[in-house]
Amino acid sequence: MNWAEFTNIFKDCKLEGDKILIGSELLKTIDFVKTNYHFDMLKEIIASDNGDGTVELTYRLFSPEDEEDLLISINVKDEAESVSSIFESAVADEKEIYDLFGVKFIGNPELKRLYMPEDWKGHPLRKDYKENDERLNWNE
Amino acid sequence: MNYLYFLYIEFLAKHNIPQLFGDLTFYVIPCCIIFCALLVVVLALVLFERKLLGWFTQRKGPNRVGLWGILQTLADAFKLLCKENITPKGADRFLFNLAPVVIFVPAMIALGLIPYSSEFTFMNFQTNLLIFIVIGAMPVLSILLAGWASNNKYSLFGAMRSVAQILAYELPMAFVILSVAALGSSLNLTQIIYAQSSGGGILGWFGIPCVIGFVIMFICTIAELNRCPFDLPEAESELICGYNTEYSGMRFAIFYLSEYAMLFANSMLLAVLFLGGFLSPFGKYLSPMIFPPEISSVMVYFEQAFWLFAKTFLIIFVVIWIRATFPRMAQFDLLKFSWAVLLPVSILNLFLMVVLKYLTGGGYV
Amino acid sequence: MSKLKLNLGPQHPSTHGVLRLILELEGEKIISCEPDIGYLHRGMEKMAEKLSYIQYLPLVDRIDYLAGFFYSELLCRTVEKALGVELSKRVKAIRVMLLELNRIASHLLWIGAFLMDLGAVSPFFYAFRERELILKYFEKITGQRMMNNYFVFGGVRRDIFSLEDVENIINILPDKVKDYEALITENPIFVRRTKGKGVLDKETAFNFGITGVNLRASGVNLDFRVKDYLYEGIDFNPVVIDGADSWSRYKARVLEIKESINIIKQALKVLESEKELEQKLVNPLNLTLPEGEYIQEIEAPRGLASIYIKSTGEKSPYRLKWRTGSYYSVNLLRKILKGAYLNDAIAISGSLDIILPEVDK
Repeated sequence: MNWAEFTNIFKDCKLEGDKILIGSELLKTIDFVKTNYHFDMLKEIIASDNGDGTVELTYRLFSPEDEEDLLISINVKDEAESVSSIFESAVADEKEIYDLFGVKFIGNPELKRLYMPEDWKGHPLRKDYKENDERLNWNE
Repeated sequence: MNYLYFLYIEFLAKHNIPQLFGDLTFYVIPCCIIFCALLVVVLALVLFERKLLGWFTQRKGPNRVGLWGILQTLADAFKLLCKENITPKGADRFLFNLAPVVIFVPAMIALGLIPYSSEFTFMNFQTNLLIFIVIGAMPVLSILLAGWASNNKYSLFGAMRSVAQILAYELPMAFVILSVAALGSSLNLTQIIYAQSSGGGILGWFGIPCVIGFVIMFICTIAELNRCPFDLPEAESELICGYNTEYSGMRFAIFYLSEYAMLFANSMLLAVLFLGGFLSPFGKYLSPMIFPPEISSVMVYFEQAFWLFAKTFLIIFVVIWIRATFPRMAQFDLLKFSWAVLLPVSILNLFLMVVLKYLTGGGYV
Repeated sequence: MSKLKLNLGPQHPSTHGVLRLILELEGEKIISCEPDIGYLHRGMEKMAEKLSYIQYLPLVDRIDYLAGFFYSELLCRTVEKALGVELSKRVKAIRVMLLELNRIASHLLWIGAFLMDLGAVSPFFYAFRERELILKYFEKITGQRMMNNYFVFGGVRRDIFSLEDVENIINILPDKVKDYEALITENPIFVRRTKGKGVLDKETAFNFGITGVNLRASGVNLDFRVKDYLYEGIDFNPVVIDGADSWSRYKARVLEIKESINIIKQALKVLESEKELEQKLVNPLNLTLPEGEYIQEIEAPRGLASIYIKSTGEKSPYRLKWRTGSYYSVNLLRKILKGAYLNDAIAISGSLDIILPEVDK
């Protein structure tokens, strides 16, 4: 993709290794690369807790024509824009991330606990997750 | 039956036993014995199917209980007897318990209507065939009861599918049966069989002139019995078990056994209508050649029963073969197939048979 | 007409595990479908953060119990790439051969299970008969039938033997596949139940992140094996079928079995010329990955599988994420089942080859 053109439009971004770290306007960025560079597939969204209360979301976009990957990442706190309006596969990914990291995706129609029970406290893959939850002691 | 009756009364009279005793025992005891025997046959049928399916799928089939696994179904029945009967909480208790009873009765009546040999039919009415059709459609009542009373969505789906299916397939079946009745000039099964004896062996069987009818009737039978590829009402991979999802223990066993009893009865009906029933395929009975003349007059009845059973098991074999081969049909294809293909063809078949009957001028009487 | 809510699963004979579909029905027509997963969740990603790499290695086979080799390959590959370990030709050939055998076993099981969903019993047993040969071979060389734990960081656990068994398998299989095709492919009932059912066009497939055979059956030539370093020097054609329905997905899998046999033949040739097993195994004790993020991917039987590891230079990964093909196929059910009839629903969801442990991780 054309890096110069990209930075012209999205000023708030920088290259970090092989991924593009953006500051804001997630939905717009992803829509832009999809329409202009034919990144038609969202392979997955990777979430990773930075340990300081923010979660890094990495969007792995894929262009079936050129068979190349594009990583776009963003640091969010508790809320993020949902890209489910652009990629339907994001519905599933965002559900999982909501369950395991507690990031609320605004605009995702099906956001609810996925693996954990509805009333489970905390989000297990967060670094500040307390493991000895009282619910685990039910059979003692 | 009459012949046997006189033999029996004569035998009793020789030993100074009153005729009243003879009247009572003649009808009650053999009926009980033969119904029990039929139950055993049905159990054997289950084993037959499981063994065959095993061989079709390159397995051994049941082979642990008894010699070659012959006691397997008995063991299964015993296991089911010992199991708890669970009635779901929301079920209509009365109807839920009634359904297995309702399904078993027609199966047993149907078996009573079949002429096992020329002198042996439990219920030999002039309109045997008509009664059979009526009885044959009765299990759907029980299926509907079971499906509705179970208070389970899968059961309900199974029951509704079953009703749609049986309605669709009953009609072509009735037309085929009508054409056979026209060929045989009778609604009595024994007389229909005798009508097939004119050709001498296989050539006289109605399966030859009425081959279209035979195929249609065969398909309808499979559909009516809810067997693969028409097993939508109990489609395991979709509806778990269809109408008997909620049944357990002995109630389930009754459903299971009556299904096989119905399969047996319907296959026998097919054998009677199209394959000459108890007639020998060679035109004459073999027992006078094998047995000395004193007993051959009795042995001939056993031979007749043997031929009927052989033909029945041949048909059942094909039914099981089909089950091992085909996937399940889709609901709409199934209904379309009946209404758009089978029904017109069966009406055409009826027309052809009536013309044939007219042209041969009673050649098939 | 009033709506009926039907819970398909989690204990249902044809959901291949514990998938729960909440269906809204109008008669037998599905107007909405909501997949509910998580009944088989084992916390694979959470566990990774507590365990060292070698402790985690035996677990990853269990992500997809039908294709365990692919996931251990992914983990091993990540470690090897991170530490710069080069694999010898023989090790590569061994891995390719086992991966493809595993792919065949997985596809065979799918054929059986799919036909079982459609109500045919026999193909299930036939497919299992051939799958058994492959599993027997796995047991012979790895000591396990399914959870093999055979690949280790830098190579394989021990050298491979009894290659005549593999030759036997690839000699038998084409005939057997021909048998299945004779029984299934042209069967009118089968064709009527699969042709034109569950159509998945290209755009929808991309949009839902569908990869693997399901995507190639929609006419997209996208096989991650082509660029895979393990498959270097191996000549094969990805199976691409234009049809996009359940039938094409079936056909594509059957053809892929044949293609895999072709790959195994080439791998066997390499194994014959490279007799000596040279491998530099990584010492698993005190194994740490350099700080950074690693992504590796592989074409698993159920679509693209990939692993993401973020390491901070400690004994266990800081964050590990799996991407599995089935997870996205389950998500696709929301769309593809809409408007289908109940008895097609089973056929369609069966044709996507969903394996629940892979979904729940």
